Amino acid sequence: MNVSDETLPTAADTGDVPKSASYYGRPIVKPHVWKPYIAWYFWIGGAAGAASVECVCARMRGADALATVEKRAALAGVLVAPVLLIADLGVPSRFINMLRVFKLTSPMNLGSWILTAFGGAIGASTFAELLGWKRTSRALEVVAAGLGPALTVYTAVLIADTATPVWHEAGDTLPFVFAASGVASAGAVGVAFAPSQQNGSARRLMIGGAIGLLAAGATMEKRLGPLLGEPYRTGTGGSFRATSGALSAAGIVVGLLGHKNRTASRLAAACVAAACVLERFAVSAAGKQSAQDPKYTIEPQRARLNARRDLDLESSG
Amino acid sequence: MSDIYDETAAEREMATYPAGESRKGFFTDTTLCIGCKACEVACKEWNQLPADGYAFTGNSYDNTGELNGSTWRHVAFVEQLRGGATAPSPPPQQSKSQSQAQSQGTASGDHQVLRADAGRWLMESDVCKHCTHAACLDVCPTGALVRTEFGTVLVQQDVCNGCGYCVPACPFGVIDKRDYDGHAGKCTLCYDRLQDGETPACAKACPTESIQYGDVEELRTRADARLAKLQREGQYTDASLYLRDTGDGIGGAGAFFLLLDKPEVYGLPPDPFDTTRDLGRLWRHAGYAALALVGVTALAALGTRR
Repeated sequence: MNVSDETLPTAADTGDVPKSASYYGRPIVKPHVWKPYIAWYFWIGGAAGAASVECVCARMRGADALATVEKRAALAGVLVAPVLLIADLGVPSRFINMLRVFKLTSPMNLGSWILTAFGGAIGASTFAELLGWKRTSRALEVVAAGLGPALTVYTAVLIADTATPVWHEAGDTLPFVFAASGVASAGAVGVAFAPSQQNGSARRLMIGGAIGLLAAGATMEKRLGPLLGEPYRTGTGGSFRATSGALSAAGIVVGLLGHKNRTASRLAAACVAAACVLERFAVSAAGKQSAQDPKYTIEPQRARLNARRDLDLESSG
Repeated sequence: MSDIYDETAAEREMATYPAGESRKGFFTDTTLCIGCKACEVACKEWNQLPADGYAFTGNSYDNTGELNGSTWRHVAFVEQLRGGATAPSPPPQQSKSQSQAQSQGTASGDHQVLRADAGRWLMESDVCKHCTHAACLDVCPTGALVRTEFGTVLVQQDVCNGCGYCVPACPFGVIDKRDYDGHAGKCTLCYDRLQDGETPACAKACPTESIQYGDVEELRTRADARLAKLQREGQYTDASLYLRDTGDGIGGAGAFFLLLDKPEVYGLPPDPFDTTRDLGRLWRHAGYAALALVGVTALAALGTRR
């Protein structure tokens, strides 16, 4: 049991009734208990999904070197992802229980199926490639690209489908933050590892994704409003988010100015990738912060109750 | 939030519990609670749950703190003294004659005298609500969380793999992941005792019948009658029933309460909801974001130099 003394009753100190009544300032909802593995998975899975789409797009215009880089990135992603997910389980030996049901009301269950299918497609495509079955390999790349976007955004649905205030209330914008992060990361991989004569589209994706990440993040914070936006401005969540924003901006500027220079391009790619990782950590930390202080749970619910009561009064009177 | 949800909640509840099966639950009447914590102890003993350690919170007599994976009953203590203070002032150092004077009802010195009307203590034994629309059950990816034949929500310990998704999903902060075995844990409404027709351990141990166990329908009738009586008698005019109404965000609870103050005063959410009710909207926006992802990637590739 965690007994922190930072939130002991304010009323005892001031002798006044606290602004928003709570039970000794204790949390009402429980903060998530996921280890940092999960934030890393959100980034890696998201990037792998977007990379599969970029792989097919590159293939279609004959940029095979770029397509191969993106495919390898997606493969690396799906190899690492299950390790991260299983490491976070309380009973890792029971990881396969994730697939014992198919459950539409559980985004984590659907996500497990999506990841399994996506991993199967990318893995089989790579295997077919090794055997020299070019057409099969290409077809499986398209299958993976069909699942990729779902892999990138389902994690946003997963966390929004909780009682964690800043996640649930941001359900409409979180998928765009995660999609932008995936696109920017896939672009950064292409910029960093594909030959420079083929990575034009990757560069545009990287810069476009980074701009999208800044825009989606700002929109999310604005829509959360002054109170629920707080966890993204203060504490660990605020620090992660500010650093992520600065790295995005740096990546955009360096990427635009130094696009003829290999080293500068790679520096920009590193900045953007780091920004995307930190955005996931910001979301994780802000979620925790919003669950730990009961005001984020109580005040929006109170406001909703009052609005409903006013509506009832209106309709009855 | 949506009207449709609220209107159909009662119907959905009826669909959830087939006719012939009676849903079991608790009605916790906080006006009767004396804060003895017998429920906490009985629960720990029957369910063989480990102790919480010897923490001192400083929050009145509540050293349990919260419901978690191995604490399935938690008695909340709220001290509401005159002047709005929620915690008692330090005990006055007083002579014997002074305390005699106080006992006769005359205040002396700077210290506030605790008379019968000087304030009140609220005590509430909290427990898993066994929601009609249970978020933990909805989001559980393994199917470890199930609805039992008694209409209760149960974690199958041999299926749970400790993914931890139910923990932030619960609108009441009840279910939690345990460090010692990695599973999620919460009140089972003593599933094993129910199977043998027994009363859950906490209700059995409660000396004042603050915790009442029975068929949910009957408990609701009983709760309505109790509320009406309290209001008629005028002693507890601010009493209200919490989670009894099937039109709320969780479709009503299997374990509901009679409270004397706002829910948040007891550490309960004022307007809890099952997060799953918004799942359709969440996926729709995720769909837009996925389309945007494909569109942007295709656009970056189209009609341009390599």
